[in-house]
Amino acid sequence: MVVQAKRVVWVAMALIAFTPVLAAAPRKPKTAAAPAHPDLSGFWGPSLGKPDPALMAKLPPNTVVLDDTGAAEFPKGEYGGLKLKPNALAKAQKWKPEDEMTISRTCSVQSSIYTIQGPFPFEIYQTPQLIVFKYEYYDQVRLVFMDGRGHPADAPRTKGGHSIGHWEGDELVVDTRLFEPSTITNNGLEHSENIHMVERYKLSPDHKTLMASQWFEDPEVLDNNGARYIQWKAKPGYYVYPYDCDPSFALNYRAK
Amino acid sequence: MNGRIILGAAALLAACPVAAHHSFAAFFDASKQVTITGTVTEFQFTNPHGLIVLMVKGADGKEQEWRVETNAPVVLRRRGWTLQSVKPGEPVTIAGWPSRDGRPYLRLRAAFHPDGTPIGVPFGTGEL
Repeated sequence: MVVQAKRVVWVAMALIAFTPVLAAAPRKPKTAAAPAHPDLSGFWGPSLGKPDPALMAKLPPNTVVLDDTGAAEFPKGEYGGLKLKPNALAKAQKWKPEDEMTISRTCSVQSSIYTIQGPFPFEIYQTPQLIVFKYEYYDQVRLVFMDGRGHPADAPRTKGGHSIGHWEGDELVVDTRLFEPSTITNNGLEHSENIHMVERYKLSPDHKTLMASQWFEDPEVLDNNGARYIQWKAKPGYYVYPYDCDPSFALNYRAK
Repeated sequence: MNGRIILGAAALLAACPVAAHHSFAAFFDASKQVTITGTVTEFQFTNPHGLIVLMVKGADGKEQEWRVETNAPVVLRRRGWTLQSVKPGEPVTIAGWPSRDGRPYLRLRAAFHPDGTPIGVPFGTGEL
């Protein structure tokens, strides 16, 4: 009975932790009993701002910072300073944007390498053992394991990859591998399944802004490394809407 | 219904396009803006993009069908848009970025009722 009761308590706690109402609730002020790590929980709306110098200073050498965060995107043939291997460049040059406008591709989301910088909000649910990123864009969900595990030797490759995290002071560091090949810049440049991404998240001093650096390496495709600076504003009371992608949209472009 | 098409170069200012699954920069010319006025024949409000279809009368008096791709409705809903924001049979004026391939296809920047009031909260204003 005791075991059963404990199970019920754990299930109830899990349900509470993943209830959108909590994510939409106003953020509680810090108290003496606050957790040792910053609480990143809540709804975060896209925002633009100058890169945080401390985060950018931690980027590894041979890294170019892409200027395509948010609404901005590179046109065909521009890759923001990334140095493409000959095979990757040849493939990118063959890419045609109209090929994306098909029933089969319209609702196929890009990998998190591209999507986390987009102008859409997301929610964070935080526990000591697991952090969940719930994105509005294409209803994507990422699990960040905080229990000390490593990446599996082999596992299904996915658009979100496999993420493990740890805290370095007030920064959440997320290491992600096991991606399914997808785009880096949404204009024909594709990454391999062995791309490796590291994100660093931290709150502004007033806790109203979530700041992040995204760094990635993909030696099969790139001669240098890429990075972005991304930030979001806290929006208490908001919650992520369902995306429910409609693939028939592709027919509209092809109608004329 | 008198329609008009105004073509002109314009800088990409605060009202930036909101990217979705396909590349805005690859499909649309951000260095130009087009404004059209016509009568709505269809309005779709599903992700990844909404769609406004309207008939626009050109300078030669002939009507032409234009298709206008909107931002993702998940984004537009927070800016006051609903499925009822645009109705077939109603006149509407739309400003947007033209398709690079010359099709009568736009990416919406802003939409206006006949009295000039904006539909929803225009981008570049408000919080989201």
